[in-house]
Amino acid sequence: MKLSTRYNRVNILTSSIILIITGIIYYFFIHLILTNKLDKDLAVEEDEIRQYTRTYQKLPLPASYLDQQVSYRELPGNTNDIREFSYTTYLNQEENDREPGRSLVTTVHLKGKNIQVTITKSRVESEDLVRVILLITLGVTLILLVSLFLINRFVLNRLWMPFYSTLKRMKSFEVTKIGEVSQDLTEIDEFIELNQSVNAMADRVKQDYRELKSFTDNASHEMMTPLAVINSKLDSLLQTESFTAQQGALLEDIYQATGRLARLHQSLLLLAKIENNLITDAQELDFKDLVESKVRQFQELFERDGLTVEVRLSNKTVIMSRYLADIVLNNLFSNAVRHNLRDGRIVIALSKTALVISNTGKNVNDTGRLFDRFSKSPESEGMGLGLAITKQVCNLYGYHINYEQMNGMHQFSIFFDPES
Amino acid sequence: MKILIVEDEHALYESIFDYFTGEGNICEHAADFNTASEKIQLYSYDCILLDLGLPGGEGLDLLSQLKKSNKKDGVLIISARHSLDDRLSGLDLGADDYLVKPFHLSELKARVTAIVRRKNFDGDNVIKFNEINVDVSAMNITVNNNPVTLTKKEFDLFVYFLSNKNKVVTKNAMAEHLWGDEMDLSDDFDFLYTHVKNLKKKLGEAGAKDYVKSVYGIGYKFTEA
Repeated sequence: MKLSTRYNRVNILTSSIILIITGIIYYFFIHLILTNKLDKDLAVEEDEIRQYTRTYQKLPLPASYLDQQVSYRELPGNTNDIREFSYTTYLNQEENDREPGRSLVTTVHLKGKNIQVTITKSRVESEDLVRVILLITLGVTLILLVSLFLINRFVLNRLWMPFYSTLKRMKSFEVTKIGEVSQDLTEIDEFIELNQSVNAMADRVKQDYRELKSFTDNASHEMMTPLAVINSKLDSLLQTESFTAQQGALLEDIYQATGRLARLHQSLLLLAKIENNLITDAQELDFKDLVESKVRQFQELFERDGLTVEVRLSNKTVIMSRYLADIVLNNLFSNAVRHNLRDGRIVIALSKTALVISNTGKNVNDTGRLFDRFSKSPESEGMGLGLAITKQVCNLYGYHINYEQMNGMHQFSIFFDPES
Repeated sequence: MKILIVEDEHALYESIFDYFTGEGNICEHAADFNTASEKIQLYSYDCILLDLGLPGGEGLDLLSQLKKSNKKDGVLIISARHSLDDRLSGLDLGADDYLVKPFHLSELKARVTAIVRRKNFDGDNVIKFNEINVDVSAMNITVNNNPVTLTKKEFDLFVYFLSNKNKVVTKNAMAEHLWGDEMDLSDDFDFLYTHVKNLKKKLGEAGAKDYVKSVYGIGYKFTEA
């Protein structure tokens, strides 16, 4: 939910409730006040009648005043005195119309007789007043709500504009690109502060990135140089004298170890680079083409182990680094060959949604650590980094890699769009 | 070949120097940016081996200098940086090839030879070795004018041997050259045996002498003797 929507909702809801409650309270209070006033008028009239009766010993004429009627009724001898206000109807004789009224029924004593006096006043004016007030209140409420809505809708959206533009820039922020995240001019202090913080953060991130990159480069450089020296010295040593077969075997072991060390180191650097998103040459690749050429490249290995290879490919393009795509395919293919049986089988299937490579092989206990670094089966000659790198590459591009054993086949699947 | 080795690591430079010297090759050395820059301006080389991280400057800047002054020297970048950016910008700037440390000297020699060959014999890319004629661009080999049919790998292997005449070349280096180090084949030499065996057999059948000798069990040597 957008902030403005949320704010709108809360704001309008609260405003409506408060205004309605105010309206109701308002209505009742005014009603009460007006009724009180009527009652006071009625009491004054009652007093006048009492005084008149006391002074003149007769009832005043039941003449109708403006909006007021008085009537008398003789009560039987021994009834108690009453005095009560009530809502009644008032008969407007001029307009011959029934109107809401308020009456006071009271008793006066005249010459030993109890006479009930009913004074009725029309409430029509006060009712009108209340209605007008209510209407005005409602009108104001409506206007207020509409203007609140409009303010929220237009002013708020305009106010938040710098925020959204900053957000957009942050989304498109790439650590490898130069340039500030946001330079939008705004007069709102909060947004100025936000822009400053975002820019400061971006600078820090870029600084860290540069440092990391230079560290990776330096580490690679520093470690590769001695390795290069060892390798070249071995090459030179080999040219010098005749060696015995035993010395030759020793040299070969040193070569192997050096090569292994170099590869190990390169793999670790590669992992670090992928993790830190330092490989940025993502481009559109014809994945089918890539898989096909990889199959050709591995043909010799397939033939050596007498493997039957089934290839089912459909067209698929992906956006990824060619270098990483190559590494992933290399790892999966080498894996399928290395852990296969003599005269085994490999099935390579590429669809729009997934690349699935399955191979026959010995049963292994899936410890769930298959994609961890340096986790490998005891008989594997690899370094245990291939699948870790593969997984890391998949993570980088939002793919999902999955391993399962099915019908005696080991199956690796890469889902290009795991969401769907 | 006249070669300039721009490398600040002395031990590495020495090995390269030893490996390349002889057979009419002349090697010169520059251990820092300024020396290298001077030599590049003053002289012409068939190939410059360029290390990227140098005391006093960036190797890539040397490359730009070279290209600015319109020199035709071949350039092979040797760098410990496996960074794609560097590889791409190096090649963009006009380097002929890029080799990542650590490398085998035989691989370096093969690549340098290839660059120099491309530079010197435009189009007509033929190597003669006694009775054997190799047309590198057409991928043809003739022995005493008899054509020999080789597979791509066998051909590559033979050119590799020719580039490293009289040197012991290890099986690791050959395997890496033929299959690349990504395929993780370098510990498995069965393929290599097969290819070397086939190559020797085909050349022998065509009437060539057997120049490929197995050495100490760890490599081969292509030699007349």
